[in-house]
Amino acid sequence: MKEFITGNHAVARAVRLCRTPLIAAYPITPQTPIYEKLSEWEASGELKGIMMRTESEHSAMASCIAASLTGVRTFTATSSQGLALMHEMLHFAAGCRVPVVMANVNRLLAAPWGFWADQLDSLSQRDTGWIQLYCENGQESLDSVIQAYKIAEEVFLPAMVCLEAFVVSHFMEPVDVPDQEQVDRFLPPLDLPHRFDIDKPGYLVPVVPPELYRKYKHMAQTSMNAVKEIADRVDREYREAFGRGYGIIEPFMLEDAEIVIVTAGSITSTARITIKRLREQGHRVGLLKLRLFRPFPVEEIQQALAGKKKIAVIDRNISLGSGGIFCQELRAALVHSSDHPLTFSYIAGVGGTDVDPDVIEKIALDVMKRREPVDTPMWIME
Amino acid sequence: MEIKYDSSSELVIPISYGSSEAIETGKWGFEKPEAAFLTAPCQEVCPAGNPIPQFLYFAGEGRYQEAVEALLRENPFPGVCGRVCFHPCERDCNRSQYDEAVSINAMERHVFDVTSNRHPDILPLSNNVNSRRVAVVGSGPAGLSAAYFLRLLGHRVTLFETRKELGGVMRWGIPEYRLPKSILKKEIKRILQLSIEVTTGMTVGKEIFFEALDRFDAVFLSPGAGLSLSLGIEGEDLKKVWRGGDFLDRINSGDKFRIGKEIIVVGGGNTAMDVARAALRRGSKVTVAYRRTRTEMPAIRDEIHDAEEEGVRFEFLLQPVKISFLTNKKIRVKFQRMKLRGRDQSNRPKAIPIKGEYVTRDADGLIKAVGEGVDLSWIPETLSTKGLIAVNPSLATSHPKIFAGGDAVDQPRTIVTAIGAGKRAAIAIDLYLGGYSDDDIFSKIRVGHKGALSMEAYLSGRNGGSWSEAKEIISYPQLNTLFFEHSKKVGMSKLDRKKALKSFSEVNLGFNSDEARMSALRCFSCGTCNYCYNCYYFCPEGVVSLDPQHRIRRVDLEHCKGCGTCAKVCPRSGVLMKEAG
Repeated sequence: MKEFITGNHAVARAVRLCRTPLIAAYPITPQTPIYEKLSEWEASGELKGIMMRTESEHSAMASCIAASLTGVRTFTATSSQGLALMHEMLHFAAGCRVPVVMANVNRLLAAPWGFWADQLDSLSQRDTGWIQLYCENGQESLDSVIQAYKIAEEVFLPAMVCLEAFVVSHFMEPVDVPDQEQVDRFLPPLDLPHRFDIDKPGYLVPVVPPELYRKYKHMAQTSMNAVKEIADRVDREYREAFGRGYGIIEPFMLEDAEIVIVTAGSITSTARITIKRLREQGHRVGLLKLRLFRPFPVEEIQQALAGKKKIAVIDRNISLGSGGIFCQELRAALVHSSDHPLTFSYIAGVGGTDVDPDVIEKIALDVMKRREPVDTPMWIME
Repeated sequence: MEIKYDSSSELVIPISYGSSEAIETGKWGFEKPEAAFLTAPCQEVCPAGNPIPQFLYFAGEGRYQEAVEALLRENPFPGVCGRVCFHPCERDCNRSQYDEAVSINAMERHVFDVTSNRHPDILPLSNNVNSRRVAVVGSGPAGLSAAYFLRLLGHRVTLFETRKELGGVMRWGIPEYRLPKSILKKEIKRILQLSIEVTTGMTVGKEIFFEALDRFDAVFLSPGAGLSLSLGIEGEDLKKVWRGGDFLDRINSGDKFRIGKEIIVVGGGNTAMDVARAALRRGSKVTVAYRRTRTEMPAIRDEIHDAEEEGVRFEFLLQPVKISFLTNKKIRVKFQRMKLRGRDQSNRPKAIPIKGEYVTRDADGLIKAVGEGVDLSWIPETLSTKGLIAVNPSLATSHPKIFAGGDAVDQPRTIVTAIGAGKRAAIAIDLYLGGYSDDDIFSKIRVGHKGALSMEAYLSGRNGGSWSEAKEIISYPQLNTLFFEHSKKVGMSKLDRKKALKSFSEVNLGFNSDEARMSALRCFSCGTCNYCYNCYYFCPEGVVSLDPQHRIRRVDLEHCKGCGTCAKVCPRSGVLMKEAG
């Protein structure tokens, strides 16, 4: 049934539908409505799990890890500074091989202080061993949380679902909320391995010698590599069950395109309008949406962009001293493909600044004019 | 479930089954936790020093035998006190500042009731090479307590009682509806099982010369206050005027005498309430006349309340001045109207006459309950002063081997104060017989600062040689109330009023097991570990171990880093952080 709800509440609905027995979280703007909604449902009895109010995000993640090691599904939600505070525990989650699912509402990182949309918070955590999915809107956020559980629980790695501050988290949109029975069929109750055995007490993840550490990292990498295939399959199964799917990347008007705009998150929706407009004007422009960021779908991107002339990656983030993070990843992915296109990095929307169809059109037209490669990122400053 | 990318033979994460105890992380610590023991205010204010948090802990766990033994170490009369004590413990209960006090009094009764039908409890007698012979004169709460504790201390005791039965005021002064005789009998039976020689029906000063007590190594005098005070007014010797003490004595003797339809009781203390309610049960209409107001009445609040509920009428600010006989077999009492002005020596509001204002009341009888005096006729004059036996704080008289306590000395006239005096005298006598000074010892075994002493502390000091320092009192702000939940005080159910007034059956019906458990668990266990496991759960190092069965709490100091979490989360200030030696 369609409901008119915010992105945050769509996430909360998904968590409830997944029958998550343990949620541990700490409130932070703009994630707080997720926390509040789940608390409200816990109080009314609609949420069948425990809402654990921890004293910090670090503890929230530690609680999720510990709970997950006892065999249950867990969830947390955070944003920006909260995610940064969790950093140490993010590595632990991956190292403990727990399928914790988290929603991160992308908010800029201080300083200076601010609350606005910016993807630097989650992108800064790209090396922590978490699966990362970036969502365009509330609907996709809801669907991705459900999918994230299915993916994470298959490979025993944690998964982060990212939605941007305010433009997704607080905007109300019609969201198709699936039936409980449907979700139960898609995501049955599970019993993860119980790592704590009272009869055989053990110390989890103790000090290991270098060779063993390498072995576990290698095992985790093997699992992470499998995620692309699993995520793609889970998305197809989801489409069959619910009539919606997204793919791990999504091409839009790409077939005969010479120039491709690459986006992740909410800018994608805006870009679709611009692409249509430019097509009407006769430009052979296409769009590639990146949804799965970790693991990075290298082969899929190589295939999708094969034969294209120029790529413009729009990044709502900046890695100081380098450039847009999505662009870096994309360039690295394309470096071995033969006859790879010229790739241009545009920084737009940083700090929550608005990226409207005109901004994207300007970027597209700018790319069309360029003949030479540019190594430094180009800032859109209006 | 299937772990697809990790074969089950190969662990997906490393787990060590070896012990990390070899690493002595405790050496990193600066402070270490220490078990703290504080005295709860309920216990401090109890004249007998009842170990209240301790017995309630046991009761809450359903460990009733241990609960009653804890009580019996400090008080031989839990069944009596659980019924008739004025229970100052509940007034000072820390929980009363949070919501409502714990039902301590009713719990004491319950602990006695559920254990009294099993074999009577006998505490071990201590071996005493200096065992001597001690005479106890009078078998009320002070005398029996002294005898009991003297036996526990290993002395031989001979108890002299004028009446045919033991119990003093508990036997003859308190009506059955408050204290059934069967309960008292059980308590006395248990005390006498300690092998106490008893002489009843013999009065010291009559059949036995006072000087005959000289053959004992020490003597404890606890004759009580058996003389009803007179009003000192015209007509008080009329036939229809009774003394309160005599009246209760006859009631408690089962004497079926007639008392008339309308009765006036003069007085405002517990005797007045007992007399009034007893008269109600004999079918009379009863009016209590008191010279001050309700607020100044010395009787226990519950007793006043119950008397009123049962139909006793009250008239305040009235003092009888004359009683006369009327022709229709009635009496007429003339009362002076009083008013409150200023304060007397004991800081109570003073009642003074309103000049010229009198009222008269006609009745079929009047019972005087204005206080009791001590019969000193048999005691050497040198031992008494101001109508009482004179004693110092150790309850010693001017005669080196004679001690005294209970209602015959200057102390509050309550059962539990008398029990406390019996304990204090037993210890003082033991010290005297051993040739020790008591000043230093009394300060080590005190329970707080209100006069109660701990027999347990005394025994462990005397027998084990380890004298611990007296514990401090734990105040309400020292509790971590975040860990508590609000709840209502549990009240006892009472006998149906119509039934109650037709007989002398016990009015208060006690707790059922659920009510008792609920009441016991309401205790905050101020200053005493009740094994709530907070320290255990919150300890980040997992170095706390608890054994509620044997009441042991341990911290593995080799691995305790001294973070102090246990001290912070203890709801009852039971852990103290101290710099590591």
